[in-house]
Amino acid sequence: MEPLTSILLHPERRVGADMARWAAAGGGQALARAAQDPAGVRVAIREADLRGMGGSGFTVWRKWEAVAAELPKPDKYLIVNGNEDEPGTFKDRMLLEETPHQVIEGALVAALAVGANRVVFYVNPDLKQSLAAVDAAIAQWHASERLAQASKALGRTLELSLRPASGHYIGGEETAAISWVEGGFPFPRGKPPYPAQAGVHGCPTLINNVETLAHVPHIVVHGAEWFRSLGKAPGTGTKLYSLSGDVLHPGVYELPMGTTLRELIFEHGGGLLSGKPLKAVFTGGPSCSLLTPVNLDVGLDFDSLRACGGSLGTGAMIVVSEGTGIVKRVAEYMRFFAHSSCGQCNSCKVGTATMSRLLDRIDTGRGTAADLDTLENLCALLPGSGRCHLISGTVQLLDSSFRHFHNEYRQALR
Amino acid sequence: MSNGGTPLAQARALYRVDSELAAPPELADPDTLLNAFHPDHLRSSVVKLAVGANAGENCQRELAQQLQAEAFIDEADLAGAPVTDTDVLIIGGGGAGCAAALAAAGRGARVLLVTKLRLGDSNTVMAEGGIQAAIEPDDSIQRHIQDTLRGGHHAGDPELVSAMAQDGPEVIRWLIEEGMQFEQTASGDLHTRKAGGMSAARIMHCRDYTGLEMMRVLREAVIQHRGIEVWEHSPAVELLSNERGQKCVGAVFTSLLDGRFRIVRTHSVILATGGLGRLHLNNFPTSNHLGATGDGLVLAYRIGAQLRDLDSFQYHPTGLVHPPYLSGKLVTEGVRAAGALMLNAAGQRFVDELLPRDIVCAAILRECAEGRGIRVDDGRVGVWLDTPRLERSQPGMLERQFPKLLARTQMSGIDPRSEPLLIHPTLHYQNGGVVIDVNGATTVPGLFAVGELAGGIHGRNRIMGNALLDIISFGRRAGVAAISEHDRGPKKVTLEHVNQARRALTLAGMPLTQRAPQILPDYAAKGIWNR
Repeated sequence: MEPLTSILLHPERRVGADMARWAAAGGGQALARAAQDPAGVRVAIREADLRGMGGSGFTVWRKWEAVAAELPKPDKYLIVNGNEDEPGTFKDRMLLEETPHQVIEGALVAALAVGANRVVFYVNPDLKQSLAAVDAAIAQWHASERLAQASKALGRTLELSLRPASGHYIGGEETAAISWVEGGFPFPRGKPPYPAQAGVHGCPTLINNVETLAHVPHIVVHGAEWFRSLGKAPGTGTKLYSLSGDVLHPGVYELPMGTTLRELIFEHGGGLLSGKPLKAVFTGGPSCSLLTPVNLDVGLDFDSLRACGGSLGTGAMIVVSEGTGIVKRVAEYMRFFAHSSCGQCNSCKVGTATMSRLLDRIDTGRGTAADLDTLENLCALLPGSGRCHLISGTVQLLDSSFRHFHNEYRQALR
Repeated sequence: MSNGGTPLAQARALYRVDSELAAPPELADPDTLLNAFHPDHLRSSVVKLAVGANAGENCQRELAQQLQAEAFIDEADLAGAPVTDTDVLIIGGGGAGCAAALAAAGRGARVLLVTKLRLGDSNTVMAEGGIQAAIEPDDSIQRHIQDTLRGGHHAGDPELVSAMAQDGPEVIRWLIEEGMQFEQTASGDLHTRKAGGMSAARIMHCRDYTGLEMMRVLREAVIQHRGIEVWEHSPAVELLSNERGQKCVGAVFTSLLDGRFRIVRTHSVILATGGLGRLHLNNFPTSNHLGATGDGLVLAYRIGAQLRDLDSFQYHPTGLVHPPYLSGKLVTEGVRAAGALMLNAAGQRFVDELLPRDIVCAAILRECAEGRGIRVDDGRVGVWLDTPRLERSQPGMLERQFPKLLARTQMSGIDPRSEPLLIHPTLHYQNGGVVIDVNGATTVPGLFAVGELAGGIHGRNRIMGNALLDIISFGRRAGVAAISEHDRGPKKVTLEHVNQARRALTLAGMPLTQRAPQILPDYAAKGIWNR
């Protein structure tokens, strides 16, 4: 097994909320550079082709440029999205807990680059240790000179705050996060207007995932070229893969973006448990889909996976070995989504509940051919019908399980 | 266990009820005797656990094999299995399970009680002696606590002991309200008596079948309660965990009748599966009922619960050897307390019969190992319990005080009034078990453990009458605590903890060939259970 490419999770950086040790490992340099040349940061991020690591894979610089172009009304917000509630995803909690200063520096660099003066750390309330680490780290920033220097560079006071999220799955959606930060229930909103134009209280708002922002200081210090060279083309940089399920060594692996599934599972994950054959992999994220053994040599990056009909999502890889029922797994996901639907949009509220009920029937041996037929029709009908992506993502998972494992559904019928 | 010994027929012919008996030899050094002969002290019977929450700790060898075994089921087995939802799931239909069910259902929870055999098939019904509670004027809760801790060689958890002792009087009141009969004095007070290790009279009882009477009452109450559903003949084969394998969210059952799997999803699981006598540790016979195969220990350990005192078991000195089908069945300690002596094949006393149980056991085992025992045809060995001499000194005594013993032996053509009973120590009680707090909560969220399965109450030795109190006290506590468990979000039920256990076994280089829990002893499973 080759040594892991450790940038974000380099042992020297995993110091917890200890500002002195973080600075000793090179922390703070990126912020100093950003204070000199905020626009240069945006260029570097653009050239590095940094993507949104929270699941969308959206190019980061586009969001940043959009927010940078807006005038403060009267504030500009940056929300650091640490809601992390996707099945099988456990990377952001690790970054927040073990490298909170790295994340905070990334957030401040981003704030300088786009001119945001209010930085909100939005963290899943169940992640008690992450919350504690961020809280302690923010206190250290308030006590240090660095924050004051950054405020000076920005030209107005930078405010850091920690806001425990709602605990709702849907709260991870960016407009839902905005609602919660405003003080309301985390209902997603329709777009446009995009958060870049009108986010928290109508102010321009940038929302980035924890992992995305953690990459930023390294790009600023080492340059875009260095970052691109870390990845396996077309991927750039590194990615935190959350490997779980029927593998010998589950865990978070920082590997070059574009590492193949085969390398991840067999070289780093130690292969499948009890030597069973691989059946499928659920990729976690707002629109998770299934990978099968034929995808073993596809690079795990946003573009390569999209090209083969999958999606990288958050980088969660839930490995399923032969002997596991796909119908049961999908039924469980569907139950999760039905529970997670916020209920605003009828198609999603009723759609996820109906699909969940039908899948439960099929899974417990009470389903009929008509039930399966209904599900397939819903898959065609529902996508795109909600304010947010939940219903579409739900259907994408179901649809991809139909595509690969239709036989199992048929066999489960009464 | 055998090393020569006199054949049964020959020993019977040698036995004289009126022989002159010398006093037993002075016991110079009990520790040497224990170290040489008591199964808990045998070095070969203890190993270190390699995986799990107790890795690195001592554990009895056969139990360790069970705890570090592969699960029965895989995800594939659950395909198409019907799912039932309930508020509280109770596994085990003995006294502790029923008490927990009544407590939870009494507060409005939907309760599902699932038992491997039939409701009431348990060691509870075997308890003969009685139940302890400090109710006498010259007694106090404090003394009950002290007696229990001292009896357990101060290895017990004082918090648990104190909780149990404080519950004592209330438990008795509750049992009476539920309809249980206790022996009374002429004036109508509860009759109490004193037993070994007690500083005051504290045992309440109902003839020599206290547990049976208790189970009768609990069983009726459970059956009549509309909030409790009971599944019989449904052994638990695995617990279910959340997607991180860290919280217990249900269990998988099979059926002894049709072999199909059923899934139960719930907010909290109360394990009340009892002891493990039927694992026949160190090849000992057991006084336990057929279902006591330690399933709960295996399931709890696999999902990550901490256990304790896994190398400490109670062996009862007087288990029957003959006839074979009663092997291991108990002759109550009361018989010795009433004055019955023990003799070896040569007709000599070899130990003071009223010493603590572990020492008497070791002395019997020494006689058997050194060729002074009595051997039956299949090679098992024992010593005499001299009941005829007791009958001769106190005529009518056996019939008056021990009707259950008399009935049981006479059914197989043995009359203890004229013929001594052949006895050998029998595996009786599991002193340790799952680590719990005063509410019966284990170290795994959503999982409770009560009754003999739980550890820490009796330390490394249990005194008489505390088992029945333990099951009701902690059963009711867990029943109440279990209904306050709730979860936000849907219950995703997985076998993730099984994967984690499998991973740990693989990494430790352990074989995945043995499977557990055992569910039924091998000899009972033939033909009906072919796993």
